[in-house]
Amino acid sequence: MNRRIVILERVVGPLYWIILIASIWVLLRGHNEPGGGFIGGLVAVSATVLWGIARGPDAARRRLPTGDPVALAAIGVLSAALSGVPAFFAGLPFLTHLSFTLPLGVTKLWLSTVMVFDIGVFLCVWGALSGYALGLLEIDDDDEVREGGR
Amino acid sequence: MAAPSASHLHGRPMRPAECAAFVMAPLVSFLGLLWLLLRGEVPLTKSLSWVPSLGIDFAFRIDGLSALMLALITGVGVAVFIYAAGYLSGHPHQRRLFVMLTAFMLAMIGCVTADDLFLLFVFWELTSLTSFMLVGFGHEDLTSRKSAQQALIVTGSGGLAMFAGFILLTQQAGTSSISGLIEVVPEMARTPTLSMALILIFIGAFTKSAQVPFHFWLPNAMAAPTPVSAYLHSATMVKLGVYLLARLDPAFGEWPLWQGTLEAVGSITAGWAMILALRERDLKRILAWSTVATLGALVLLIGLSSPVATVAVATLLLAHALYKAPLFFVAGNIDHGTGTRLLDKLGNLRHAMPLTATAALLAGASMAGLPLTFGFLAKDMIHEAKLAEQVEVLVQIGYGVFGIVAVAVAGVAAIRVFWWHPGVSITPKAHECGASLVLPPLILATMGIVLGVLPWVARSIILSAAQAMSAAPIESIDFHSHLPSMLGTLTITLAVGVVVYLFWDPIHRGFDRLAKHFDWMASVSHYSRVVAGIPKLAAVSTRSIQNGSLPGYMAMLFFAITVAIGLMLWTVRGDLAWPEWEWPSLGVAGACIVVALGALLAGGLERRLVIVLAVGLVGYGSAVFFLFAGAPDVAYTQFIVETVFVVVVASVLLKLKRLGRTTSIRGMRRRPWAMVISVLFASAVTLLFVVVSAGTLDPLLSEYFLAKSVPDAHGRNVVNVILVDFRAIDTLGEITVVMISILAAIPILAALRPPRRRQEART
Repeated sequence: MNRRIVILERVVGPLYWIILIASIWVLLRGHNEPGGGFIGGLVAVSATVLWGIARGPDAARRRLPTGDPVALAAIGVLSAALSGVPAFFAGLPFLTHLSFTLPLGVTKLWLSTVMVFDIGVFLCVWGALSGYALGLLEIDDDDEVREGGR
Repeated sequence: MAAPSASHLHGRPMRPAECAAFVMAPLVSFLGLLWLLLRGEVPLTKSLSWVPSLGIDFAFRIDGLSALMLALITGVGVAVFIYAAGYLSGHPHQRRLFVMLTAFMLAMIGCVTADDLFLLFVFWELTSLTSFMLVGFGHEDLTSRKSAQQALIVTGSGGLAMFAGFILLTQQAGTSSISGLIEVVPEMARTPTLSMALILIFIGAFTKSAQVPFHFWLPNAMAAPTPVSAYLHSATMVKLGVYLLARLDPAFGEWPLWQGTLEAVGSITAGWAMILALRERDLKRILAWSTVATLGALVLLIGLSSPVATVAVATLLLAHALYKAPLFFVAGNIDHGTGTRLLDKLGNLRHAMPLTATAALLAGASMAGLPLTFGFLAKDMIHEAKLAEQVEVLVQIGYGVFGIVAVAVAGVAAIRVFWWHPGVSITPKAHECGASLVLPPLILATMGIVLGVLPWVARSIILSAAQAMSAAPIESIDFHSHLPSMLGTLTITLAVGVVVYLFWDPIHRGFDRLAKHFDWMASVSHYSRVVAGIPKLAAVSTRSIQNGSLPGYMAMLFFAITVAIGLMLWTVRGDLAWPEWEWPSLGVAGACIVVALGALLAGGLERRLVIVLAVGLVGYGSAVFFLFAGAPDVAYTQFIVETVFVVVVASVLLKLKRLGRTTSIRGMRRRPWAMVISVLFASAVTLLFVVVSAGTLDPLLSEYFLAKSVPDAHGRNVVNVILVDFRAIDTLGEITVVMISILAAIPILAALRPPRRRQEART
């Protein structure tokens, strides 16, 4: 992997966003159709790995929402845990999910703490597995010069 | 008492105000207890539901026995905290000691007020842990560390045995509530299971209270600073075992197993520990052995069944705390004032340390059981307890030795070091200690005398404690009931004790010479042999099992699983049925062919990268199979996991060359064995799945989830609903594990990076 792959470097920009949007779509449909936080997270990991291969692990790391895989995973776990807290205020056991429907004129928006939990799973998988993949990619040549988006 | 940072916590010496703040903790608790007692609010119960599915409650109950223990914990606690303020004044870690002492005190309070076996267990182990840290307070010292470790190993493993006993007992009795058990157990049949539970509980209580053969750890734990020794080893923690036995006495008191074991173990401990005390030269260790002996006497008294024996237990508990804690303080003062605790170097200290000498005299008088002391009343009650029933010879001997040597030990601690003239004064630097070191022993020892003269002050607390310990009702306590016969026995004990005291040195030398031949028999040498054997065993097992060969591990793992599945199938072979043959659909057949192809390729190839791809083929084939088997969710996940897996492993393999490893499997020598194991494993697993799929699965759960998914969780994807809703706490645990695993992996990955890059990453 010493050589730069020019086609990949050009293509990866739009591809990254397409894969991310797909991953979010997989995440959001998960409650009713095949999908969910885990699969969505894995799809998002593939976007990050792609960026890492094309432009280097450091660039891919900077591209993550928090700039650091561990922080991303931690935020995921934290939001999943916090999604169980509102249940306390309703006098229910921890992690009993609450949901309500928000009327929006013509349509209705369904909101739930389940969503927050699933997003937490998504972020945790994305962060942790990206951490592994980028860490492995970094065990690399000392003469590596494909830094940043050059 | 906030601890903002580690550097703040250590280093800077404590101000008196800060010490005073810590002293408030036991003081306020003690006053609160007195207030409760005066208002007559005992017994007091409070209960919160904790683990309702197991019937375990956060239940607390303060009755007479708890109140007596609380009085010791908080009352002696005040003295200990004040003493610690002076003893470690200016010590850089004094604050840490206070924090740990407070934590220990809270654990003790929890333990003696818990009304649920499992709640008690939690606090019990907390006392083990905090005492581990307290005994190992001087952690720069190897002896200190070893002693702490010994105390933790002995009391901790005993605690685990006790936990097993609690589980057995709870299962048999149907309740883990202590007050409930006391009502249920006497009616229950004495099954072998219940006896087993009792024996396991004995182990816990005996290790905690340093009974033979677990007696060796307590004197070694004297490596702790003196305030800690006085607190843990005279007044509180070591009495937990006694407390537990006393607590369960109403439930098991009529069992021959209970009475026999407690009488035997208690008597042997009482006698043997006192003989071991004669071997010591260190004042603190002498006191420690006599503490062990007292614990033995308490256990033996619990084993006796007459109601007056329970009165004796309560009286001795209180009396012992009131004389032994001051004597430990005295030993600490001598150490503080002269720099040594060895008997050979001490003598004639009364001029230099008059106040300490007074405290020692008062406490020693109570320990020797002289009239007009509280120790005398304790002896009186014990005497009466022994008269109330037929006791074994062993009990007589054990208690006899205990009484005699107690007199001698009291003499050594109170008279020899202060009044004896060793010829040359080896301790010319001796000086009296400050008020915070002198007042605690003086006050506690004076209390021992005051209660001896005015026993009615302590009558109500002892009476209610005895009532809590006894199945039979106790109306009142009659101190001095057997005065004439008591005085006769006391005179004999005193006379022989004085003889032992006078001939302490020759007896000491004699025992020492004798013991040299029997040292290999001592419990402590068995302990050290076991502790020394553990690393050896670990080394042998590591060499043979964990040889660092990943293929070796895999082979062992798969072989073990094969054997397990084989055994399981063999044992249930009668109930198994072969499923009906049916033609697979085209998709399933194709998937199976892909899987088989991948497996064959993986088995026959040599280059690792290609093997990984072949294994990936197996994964993809399985995913296709899932797709046709009606599990699209699992199939998608499998596809993505498989892809990421192949990419990650392939990128690792690409680095292997750089790290000097080959990318092809060297040495085909082991290949045949690997083939055999994999074929066996695959056959076993296949067989298992075939016969499992032939049977009918219990559809209860899947039906439940299918039915509840939409109405309860508003989701049509049942797999996802189970993950995020029905079993959300499991998922939360899993993603936490995922996150922790990356935390663990980051240093390893960083270490594999070339040095230059690592440097950059650090900056």
